Amino acid sequence: MKGLLIKDFMLLKNQKSSLLIVAVIAVAMTAYLENTSFLIAYLAFIGSQFARNTISYDDFDNGNAFLFSLPVTRKSYAAEKYAFGLLVGGGGWLFGSGAAIIAGMVKGTVSPVDTLMIALLTFPMLLVLIAISVPFHLKFGAEKSGIAMIVIGFLLVAAFMLAARLTKAANLDLTALTDMLPAMNTTSAVLAGFIAGTVILLISLWVSIGIMQKKEF
Amino acid sequence: MLRLEHLIKNYGAFTLDCSMEIKPGRVTGLVGQNGAGKSTTFKAVLGLISPDSGTIHILGKDLRQFGARDKQSLGVVLSDSGFSGYLTIRDIIPILASLYPDFSKTDFQANLQRFCLPLDKKIKEFSTGMKAKLKVLTAISHNARMLILDEPTTGLDVVARDELLEMLREYMEQDDNRSILISSHISGDLETLCDDIYMIHEGKIILHEDTDVLLDHYALLKADSSQFIHMDKQYILRFREESFGYSCLTDQKQYYVENFPGLVIEKGTIDNVITMMIRGEKAAKTAQK
Repeated sequence: MKGLLIKDFMLLKNQKSSLLIVAVIAVAMTAYLENTSFLIAYLAFIGSQFARNTISYDDFDNGNAFLFSLPVTRKSYAAEKYAFGLLVGGGGWLFGSGAAIIAGMVKGTVSPVDTLMIALLTFPMLLVLIAISVPFHLKFGAEKSGIAMIVIGFLLVAAFMLAARLTKAANLDLTALTDMLPAMNTTSAVLAGFIAGTVILLISLWVSIGIMQKKEF
Repeated sequence: MLRLEHLIKNYGAFTLDCSMEIKPGRVTGLVGQNGAGKSTTFKAVLGLISPDSGTIHILGKDLRQFGARDKQSLGVVLSDSGFSGYLTIRDIIPILASLYPDFSKTDFQANLQRFCLPLDKKIKEFSTGMKAKLKVLTAISHNARMLILDEPTTGLDVVARDELLEMLREYMEQDDNRSILISSHISGDLETLCDDIYMIHEGKIILHEDTDVLLDHYALLKADSSQFIHMDKQYILRFREESFGYSCLTDQKQYYVENFPGLVIEKGTIDNVITMMIRGEKAAKTAQK
């Protein structure tokens, strides 16, 4: 996996102009907006997208055929995409959190504790983002994965609405469950978010390994 | 080193049914037309596609048990694939060093200099020849026990091709137990490099012969209609009607040299053997004529 990680960091390094644009936007928006905590989600999101893009680079010009003739397994390849996503997305999240805390303190708009809480609540979202984007990209490729994600998102919303209607029709009362949410303190919410994010990520990894095992190059 | 037994892969109307063996210390060539099944065979050997049936044993293991560590013993060139074009050679050096414990950075860099390959230029900006050189240099950079080379000399000029073939010979001389499986549409490369040659056509192996035998014992006989009628055809593998009469492929050149002095006899080459094996009619039909 180390060799694959080095490869992906080399590919990332060669996207200097994109990285520069991200940095310029981050600095401009930090200067312009009062709430600096946007930086956390922004950099975490961008970081995870850079990681996702490496899948496209691998696939370009039938590159995967050569890649899998090297001493790597399909399982380690899938796992590496998550590791790289966590490293780059997590790096973006960490850098964004630090920058947001400092900017908030300098501008006096958001307290460091509030920014930290937002950062901790954002991290599980990063996990879910990686968990969704990696298998879609592995399965459908760069062009089709966006369409596939929209279709699946639509189906999920439809399924949720159907479930809500069925619940209502069956006279089931789920308010006790929803009433619990405000009662959770921030620490519990963060913990629950981390656990849920990790579980979703592991399920996603399992799915991605299955996708890679079936692929032919 | 490598043994394929009835490796079968179906792609619609195309079926690959390939059996072959590559022995230690030998360079084995795989030749055939475009679409004959060469690349499919290479991909199956490398685990890039799943065979429908048959077995592949590579370096003493069933392919299904051939893991990442085992792959460190292989050096691979694929005709239509390589490192990402967005990387530079300077980028791939640490990747190779990490993937292959026996990667020799010093030798690799010396070879880069020898072939004038730039360290800091993106691979996608390389010429076809430069890409081909890089692929071969990468394959031989880590003390592999076996090289699997699909069209490694494509896009190279005569001088560069000769230098690369010389490097492959040096690679073989360093260890008696190494072996190479190579495909090329440039038959001259194979004639000078290979110990034996498999010929594949429409997914099936139609000929396997030692290169020495192929070059020394095979011949193209050119006969007019009268000579063709009267000649002994027991050693004719294929024949083909031509404007002057008939071309016949034999694997017993000496027999016809001694017994049919009036025939024009051309030395066997991979090109004319391929052409006759594919386009010629089987000799069994000759006897009925």
